[in-house]
Amino acid sequence: MAVKLRFFAKFRELLGTDILVPPGEGSTVLSLVRDTARKNPEGYDAIFDEKGNFHEFIIVMRNGKRVEHADAPAARVADGDEIAVFPPVAGG
Amino acid sequence: MLTERERERYRRQIMLFGNEGQENLKKAHIFIAGAGGLGSPVAYYLAVAGVGTLTIVDMDTVDPTNLNRQILHTDRDIGKKKTVSAMEKLTSANPDIRINAIDAKIDEDNVAQIIGNADGIVDAMDNYPVRYLLNRVAVAKNIPLFHGAIRGFYGQATTIIPGKTPCLKCIFPKAPPKEVFPVVGATAGVIGTIQATEVLKFLLGSGELLASRILVWDGLAGRAEEIYAERIPCCPACGSCGTETPVGGKK
Repeated sequence: MAVKLRFFAKFRELLGTDILVPPGEGSTVLSLVRDTARKNPEGYDAIFDEKGNFHEFIIVMRNGKRVEHADAPAARVADGDEIAVFPPVAGG
Repeated sequence: MLTERERERYRRQIMLFGNEGQENLKKAHIFIAGAGGLGSPVAYYLAVAGVGTLTIVDMDTVDPTNLNRQILHTDRDIGKKKTVSAMEKLTSANPDIRINAIDAKIDEDNVAQIIGNADGIVDAMDNYPVRYLLNRVAVAKNIPLFHGAIRGFYGQATTIIPGKTPCLKCIFPKAPPKEVFPVVGATAGVIGTIQATEVLKFLLGSGELLASRILVWDGLAGRAEEIYAERIPCCPACGSCGTETPVGGKK
């Protein structure tokens, strides 16, 4: 078992998707996404600001429920969880 | 009542939803915010489907850089107001419907008035500040809002039914940064036709709307996926502890 990370749109181009990550002791939504995104600096910068927080417009979900950015550092993840990271687009 | 000419024109879809469905489309008034990449396919498909009244609003002039995606406008329209070009194309696509083309910038002062008593609002805008205005009017007047947005090969669409689904501000509380966005016309085609399909389903009362679901289109991967969305209890736009002043709050 593992945590499944789903990236969408540009994040998917940069980082891939449906990535299975075994959660470590104390893994949180923030730490798991951050550690995974680190493999591609461009992907990391697309998701996180210079302080290492999610860019404010990004939508983060755990098992279909939105995770407020302020809660992400403390939101524990467990085997079988699915995390989705989605960048809304603006064009028309 | 449908005329003989209308029964002939719409014969292939009357097979789907009958004279009654077609009459419902004829009675409907849909407001389309934007005559650009998304507004083009939305307006074309609602016009040829026989939606009786379309109001389309845009403030811009046709520019050569629009032509890779904004299929209401052609090379010979460069320099024309988009509303003029849109009116010509839509009238020739279907002379049996009424089209109001309004050359205006949608803002806080005019948004509630120009939407009027439309049966649906199509979000074919390219920026979130105006989308949030449309959302506030949709919530205040209890009018469905058909959202779409695109970038590159990616797009998203969802249908907002005030009081039942999350509103646009619940789903996207913070706007993505402003940019000159890269885009290919085919992406506008995919998302715009999804929005038009949602409008038709709503007017016909058939099928299952994209309610509380965001359809996420990834043209590069060739995948459409869904993200579920929930209402935010204290949403500033639609929550009971609202802090925003409603725009034109009269139904």
